[in-house]
Amino acid sequence: MKNKETVISVKNLKTFFYSDGRCNPAVNGVSFDVKSGKTLCVVGESGCGKSVTASSIMQLLPNNARIEEGEIVYKTGDSRGDIHIEKLDRNGKEMRSLRGKDIAMIFQDPMTALNPVYTVGWQIEEMIRNHENVTKEEARKRTLKLLADMGIPDHEKRIDQYPHEFSGGMRQRAMIAMAMSCNPKVLIADEPTTALDVTIQAQIFELMEELKEKHNTAILMITHDMGVVSEMADEVAVMYMGNIIESGTAKEVLGSPKHPYTEALLRSIPILGRGKGQDLNPIRGVTPDPFDRPSGCQFEPRCDYATKECSNRMPDEVNLGKTHMVRCIKYQEVSKNE
Amino acid sequence: MLKYTIKKILSMIPMILIITFIIYGLLELTPGDPISYLMDPESLARLSDAQIEEMREAYGLNGPFVVRYFNWLFRLLQGDFGYSISSGVPVIDIIKTGLPATLELAVASLIISTILGSILGVVSAIYKGTIGDNVLTVFGMIGVSIPQFFFGIVAILVFALNLEWLPVGGRTDPSVTGFFDRLEYIVLPSLVMGLSMTAGVMRYARSSMLDTMNKEYIKTARSKGLAEWRVNLLHGFRVSLTPVVVLIGFRLPTLVAGSVVIETVFQWPGIGNAFSTAVRAQNYNLVMMLALIFVVMTLFASTLVDIVTAAIDPRVKLEN
Ligand SMILES: Nc1ncnc2c1ncn2[C@@H]1O[C@H](COP(=O)(O)OP(=O)(O)OP(=O)(O)O)[C@@H](O)[C@H]1O
Ligand SMILES: [Mg+2]
Repeated sequence: MKNKETVISVKNLKTFFYSDGRCNPAVNGVSFDVKSGKTLCVVGESGCGKSVTASSIMQLLPNNARIEEGEIVYKTGDSRGDIHIEKLDRNGKEMRSLRGKDIAMIFQDPMTALNPVYTVGWQIEEMIRNHENVTKEEARKRTLKLLADMGIPDHEKRIDQYPHEFSGGMRQRAMIAMAMSCNPKVLIADEPTTALDVTIQAQIFELMEELKEKHNTAILMITHDMGVVSEMADEVAVMYMGNIIESGTAKEVLGSPKHPYTEALLRSIPILGRGKGQDLNPIRGVTPDPFDRPSGCQFEPRCDYATKECSNRMPDEVNLGKTHMVRCIKYQEVSKNE
Repeated sequence: MLKYTIKKILSMIPMILIITFIIYGLLELTPGDPISYLMDPESLARLSDAQIEEMREAYGLNGPFVVRYFNWLFRLLQGDFGYSISSGVPVIDIIKTGLPATLELAVASLIISTILGSILGVVSAIYKGTIGDNVLTVFGMIGVSIPQFFFGIVAILVFALNLEWLPVGGRTDPSVTGFFDRLEYIVLPSLVMGLSMTAGVMRYARSSMLDTMNKEYIKTARSKGLAEWRVNLLHGFRVSLTPVVVLIGFRLPTLVAGSVVIETVFQWPGIGNAFSTAVRAQNYNLVMMLALIFVVMTLFASTLVDIVTAAIDPRVKLEN
């Protein structure tokens, strides 16, 4: 039995952007745990702060962003002990030794995520040789094996090809091969299949699932697609305007949503087999200006359950059972609709 | 790569035909009897009218335009560029002595501007928004807007006349003096020409580098835990190099124009200098032949740029 303990623990993380003297609290106090051998899906509309959360963990934030508060603890499980990522120097040696080696990342668009002027093999070997003291031949041998493991046919030839000679799906496989090359404990995937078509998407998910099982990798999957969540997630965190408004196991969040926003998100996805006539309800209203946020609950202006009380302040976390958390004062009313 | 190179070189042939055709057309439009510059002026002076008419026939000047053009082109290919009417010297001799000097100056200033321009551009992109970047940007703006001849004259005033560090101008014969004795002559003209081109290269390298550094694969490179210098140079600079090489290709005509100005200012005995003298003397055949050399040189150089671009950017070959 493989252990499913926490590898990364994020507590009350606040990452703010500063531009023209104005502050955008893009991530405004989120907490979650990423556990080995499990997939945590962070889901939410565009602009809610998913990518910023991921970049904060990797310390890959742009210069106009800063981690204001909170902690990101990486539990190495070895002699290094617990590492407080938020305290490390952004491009310092320690942070760089974690990046790629302990925590690897893959990005949305494999078309642009690989450097066009180097061969795919070169880019993977670069990663291996950056973290491990191996010879060129050794690195190449490992790269070949990785490409084969990721299901890239003809890998002997593919290794010396440039990214533009790969199809989108193959490119994402190459990205995953690179990310997995140093056996990371955590894999962060920022919308890894948004740029791919549906059949390829399914194959990539299958591959990730397989790697998770085989290496006991912790996966932090970022997506805006509830369909992806239902397919991949062991655990779910729903984000809205910089806050996690509901989290829990996939069964809890998808099966009995307690937050009006989660409920609305689930209502807005088509269900396979119900055909064209089904009632799709897009969430009314638009996401507010991030620089001019609602004073209370961020979802209040668009919420069907909203009362006067909701505009006072952001509701606190309510724990329903061991894993299920919701931030809504009206959650009991939401559950009644089930 | 070899196939691409051969294709590029072969594609110059039609271009050269068109260019020579235009040049010949212009040459015929200039005042004066063609025989006066096609033949050695000394022997021409000794000929009677009837003999001159014979020579005309021999040079094919009485045939239709296309025949005249091909006769001329054929003589060009044999190295016969006609004569300079003001000195009576064969044009090919003027080219033979002037071209090495011009190329020497052009290559020196190209190297200076490319290396300095890319380094400064990349540095100011990496340190974007700092004081250093702003200072470089202002210098760049000044550099682009100062005319080369003015820059050249100021340089002569300061470094040659006031400080007396370097000679005012000229060039010594490579067959007579050694490399280091000649160096002092090329320093000033090549620096003036190189620096005045640096500003453009720098601005371009900076924006190209900034553009590259915003790309997703730079984030990928950082996410691999690579050191900043590796991210900047191997991933950023390496990619932004392609557009810079292309830009240098675009600037080759400027180099030619620059060589005319700079060679005149510094009395550098190249074909740019010969060109400006010939224009003033209305020495049309020489002007046209030197113009032809300039155009062909530019064509060669831009073909070379295409080949280099393909060599450093794997994506280019597919598109062609
Ligand atoms: N480089 C940046 N400069 C300024 N603000 C930024 C920058 N990147 C993100 N933001 C702001 O941070 C907030 C969250 O952005 P983020 O990219 O995390 O959204 P997301 O949830 O990943 O959305 P998407 O689904 O579109 O990727 C937004 O309000 C956005 O405007
Ligand atoms: Mg995003």
